[in-house]
Amino acid sequence: MTDTALQIIVIGVLGLVGVGLYGLLAVRNLIKVIVALQIAVKGVLLGLVAAGMASGQPNLGESLAVTVIVADTIVAVVGLALAVQVRRHVGTLDIKALSSLQR
Amino acid sequence: MVAFMWLIILPLLASPAVYLIGHWGSRQNYPNAGRQAGLIALLATWVPFILAANTFSISGALTLTIGAMSLELDGLALLLAALSLGLGTLVALYSAEYMSADASQEKFYAMLVLLVAIMIGLGCATDLFNLWLWFEAMAVSSYLLVAFYREQPASLEAGVKYLVQSAVGSVFVLLGICVVLAATGTTNLSAIRATSALTPTFMAAGALFIIGFGVKAALVPMHTWLPDAHSQAPSGISAMLSGVVIEAGLIALLRALAALSGMAVSWGVLLIGFGVINLLAGNLLALRQRQVKRLLAYSSLSHVGYMLIGLGVGVYAGQAAGIEGGLFHMLTHGMMKGLAFLSAGALLWALYIRRGQHGALTIDDLNGASRRYPLMAFTLAVAVLALGGLPPLAGFMSKWLIFLAGAQTHNMFIVAVVIFAGLNSVLSLVYYAPIVNALYRKEPSNAVLAGGALPVTILIPILALTGGVILLGFWPSLLSGLVGPASQALLAALGG
Amino acid sequence: MANSLIILLVIGLPWAGALVVWLVGDRRPGWQHRLAVLFSAAAAVVATVLLFGATDRPVLTIPLGPVFGDMTFIPDGLAALLTAIAAIIGCLAVIFSMDYMRGEQQLGRYYALVLFFIGAMIGLVLSGSLLQMFFFWEITALCSYALISFNNDDPKAVAGGIKALVVTTLGGVGLLIGALVIVGYTGSYQIADFLAQAHTLPADVLALIAFGFLLAAAAKSAQFPFQTWLPGAMEAPSPISALIHAATMVNAGVYLLFRFYPAFAAVPNWTAAVTLVGLASVLLAGLMALAAHDLKRALAFSTISQLGYMVYAIGAGGLFASQFHLLSHAVFKALLFLAAGAVIHAAGTRDMRLMGGLGQKMPLVRAVFVIGALALAGVPILNGFWSKELVLEAGLVSDTPWVIGAILGAGLTALYTARMIGLVFHGQPRSELPAHDAPPAMRFSLVVLAAGALTTWLLVGPLSALFARTLSAVYGIHALTLLEMIEEVLATPATWLVLLLVALGFAAWQQRSWLAGLAKALAPIAWVASHDFGFEWLNRQIVRVTMGTAEVTRITQTGVLGWNVVGIIGGLIVVLALLVLVWGA
Repeated sequence: MTDTALQIIVIGVLGLVGVGLYGLLAVRNLIKVIVALQIAVKGVLLGLVAAGMASGQPNLGESLAVTVIVADTIVAVVGLALAVQVRRHVGTLDIKALSSLQR
Repeated sequence: MVAFMWLIILPLLASPAVYLIGHWGSRQNYPNAGRQAGLIALLATWVPFILAANTFSISGALTLTIGAMSLELDGLALLLAALSLGLGTLVALYSAEYMSADASQEKFYAMLVLLVAIMIGLGCATDLFNLWLWFEAMAVSSYLLVAFYREQPASLEAGVKYLVQSAVGSVFVLLGICVVLAATGTTNLSAIRATSALTPTFMAAGALFIIGFGVKAALVPMHTWLPDAHSQAPSGISAMLSGVVIEAGLIALLRALAALSGMAVSWGVLLIGFGVINLLAGNLLALRQRQVKRLLAYSSLSHVGYMLIGLGVGVYAGQAAGIEGGLFHMLTHGMMKGLAFLSAGALLWALYIRRGQHGALTIDDLNGASRRYPLMAFTLAVAVLALGGLPPLAGFMSKWLIFLAGAQTHNMFIVAVVIFAGLNSVLSLVYYAPIVNALYRKEPSNAVLAGGALPVTILIPILALTGGVILLGFWPSLLSGLVGPASQALLAALGG
Repeated sequence: MANSLIILLVIGLPWAGALVVWLVGDRRPGWQHRLAVLFSAAAAVVATVLLFGATDRPVLTIPLGPVFGDMTFIPDGLAALLTAIAAIIGCLAVIFSMDYMRGEQQLGRYYALVLFFIGAMIGLVLSGSLLQMFFFWEITALCSYALISFNNDDPKAVAGGIKALVVTTLGGVGLLIGALVIVGYTGSYQIADFLAQAHTLPADVLALIAFGFLLAAAAKSAQFPFQTWLPGAMEAPSPISALIHAATMVNAGVYLLFRFYPAFAAVPNWTAAVTLVGLASVLLAGLMALAAHDLKRALAFSTISQLGYMVYAIGAGGLFASQFHLLSHAVFKALLFLAAGAVIHAAGTRDMRLMGGLGQKMPLVRAVFVIGALALAGVPILNGFWSKELVLEAGLVSDTPWVIGAILGAGLTALYTARMIGLVFHGQPRSELPAHDAPPAMRFSLVVLAAGALTTWLLVGPLSALFARTLSAVYGIHALTLLEMIEEVLATPATWLVLLLVALGFAAWQQRSWLAGLAKALAPIAWVASHDFGFEWLNRQIVRVTMGTAEVTRITQTGVLGWNVVGIIGGLIVVLALLVLVWGA
């Protein structure tokens, strides 16, 4: 893998993670928060594959990435399940409504 | 070998079984099936645990290879296993009455057994990625436990915050793994340490690990999920979260950092730095808190601070005493904080939950609790005084060990940190003592007057923990069989 | 000779008693009273036996593993004396409590804590290991806190208890750090090892230890500038004030200074600092006692002032004098507190302005109170006279001008003592108070202590022989017979000066109407003294600032998810920046 390609990928990883984190700060809808988390994780997946290739262990990188996909799906499912309960019992998906616990 | 395999597999397999049995039982009009199955599963896990511990004490660390996954039961893993299994069993017993009015108990016990299983596995991970995987599994199973009261908006809120913040931490850990993988081509912890990779790369990876695992280990300022989750979860789970889960986060952090031990001194300084911040922040946040469980949650921050200072001193100076102190405090904190949450939870249950209310237990509610619940008042007083570091209770001895390690470095900077930590212990008495005063007032609060009786299943785990906290105060070397090998394992991993 | 069984008994009996009384339960108060007396009396007997078996060798060693070292119990003369004081006065306080606490709720907690305290105090003085000493040190603070706020429904009692706990544990940090550094540098937990090799430690480290211990001693013994907790501790029941806050726990600071004196005496400025701390306490607390209206607070200030004499004696090198005064003070101040307790129990108020003329209604209490007060004032031939003269003589020998302050303090003591007697027992009753003489159990304790105040000075011979036998090797204490002491005291001109000042003090109170003009001129001082010389204000400010900071910190817990995530990302940025800046180069 060339240096240029690596640089592009690093920028891609940081970009995706950055977009995800920015999304966490910017959006107010709980579903969108979970989407933002997913975007950040996608950046990490790209990073894992690239790291495997850069170090000459492409199989390792890819198998890690696949595992992360599975694990992360579970997190997303749990998150969405919580979102459903929030919609039901709090009545809104606005995360501003979820700030009663403070101090 | 076989015992070690069962130690992990038994609770992992038992978890779905507990759910199925509980589910079947509740259909057959036998709602207690789930809790009994859960308790039996945890008790059964003691058998392989004791056998494995016995083998460990004779022939040292055990390794187990399942497919591509290699697990090693070293001293550190044994310590975490003992802590999680011990507290988990007591919590399962405790929750029998506590959760009896709630629907879908079987999910609670299945998740609790799973959480214990995962924590045992987490300690045994020998591979960075594997460590992350166990860590993530621990997070998922605890999300559901935190948000167990799914009709309560506050409980859902705590669950959502916990989930999102843990996921962010998890992203950082994965980024760190990417960096390490790219630099070394492996994720095996000992292989990583063997490579002489560039220090700046490891520096970035270490920072990502500290932040990523630090979310779960409640390092300030990544701690913000903790007071919400600990105060909203069912009390048994609060005890598990405070007594085991944040400690597991710390152990994961140490395992990962140990692989990058080329920079041990700077990790040591960073850990001490976070320790100092945690101490002060935890104490200041707890000082004006009126809700008992939230106060205890904030006090966990400061106790993580003590552990960090002990471990940081050990890592910094490559010295066993500091690591022993930090790990000993992990154990005693697990017992003291477990006791505090269980006792406060018992009062919360007797005063509110029993009557179907989910209010917050305030310090004013505790007024005069000793009149009606003399035993609970005594155990909660023991718990908070132990947390405040007063003898003859366990917290005094573990704090002493940490401070002693600091003094043994002969480094005036670290002695100053110890002085600071000692002063913080005094500060913490300012919020612990009023709890004791409230408990022993003569005029009971309205909540106490309306409270009901406590069942014996709630009392047994609390009395067991009280006995432990007092016994360790008189006989601190009782646990050195657990703490010693654990600190040896960590020192070896650090290459010391 | 003492053996390990006696050590186990002298600590174990009160602790077992604590457990038993607690288990008996509050439904059987009669048994609680009786059992508490039984166990404390048994401990007192054993403690007396221990006096005859004093030795400078450890008689009981309990290994705690390599990390925590060995617990050792060494009943040398100092330890045996303080053990006897704790056990015997503890027993008298418990007997007194039978009447004083009759009909109170939660007796189990009261007696359990008192007995737990007695055991811990004995453990503290017998400790040969630093960890063990700190362990018992903090237990006494814990018991003191719990007993001060025994009446948890009274916010003043709660505040006083927490204040005492915080101030004494704050000073305890000094002991903690000192002990840790000692273990860190010498590798041994044993106090004897440290005393033997103190001179090998680096000078700055030794200074850190020495001043850390001074801090701890000042906080525990309520010395300047930590004296504020003791008046607040007067919310405790009177037997507690007599036992913990006059006769035993507050002496722990003096004990600590004595115990480590050989190691620290050579530390530059250390003895001067000890002298000044003691002297400042003598004078400031004396003035505050003169301005106090609350009977128990006046006694508390007088305790601070008398403890100041003991601390001053150690600073001047008069080790035996400090402990001899400690013995006298423990007896006469316990007597005064218990007598004050009898007055308060009968009259239902602690305000001296409401009392007056109580002497006719309670002649026995007046008689014993006067005995105690005269001992406090240093009137011959009561025990306080002899021990105070020994302290002042040590001051003269040390050849510093500070002794003038200490001598003036004696006059001050006489003045406030006369004022106390006058306000409480003499003159016309200033309000209708229900007063009656003390009931039998109270009377017993009072008479025993009064007899003690008249006679304990006769013990100087055996006591100093005991000290010389077990402590001369390290502490260089010589035996002093009774005749030698009398001769020494009478031959010192300062004694006559002090007696003159004491007489002046009493006369000043008698002729106070003549001195009204002078009193008016000194009114500003009285005002400052009645406001604790601003220390209370300082305490309040510290509490206010701490609480304010805590309140501000709470604002950072917004509960908003976005801000929480900002915390995580911010943490990463800070850690990365630190790594790059500090270790990047």
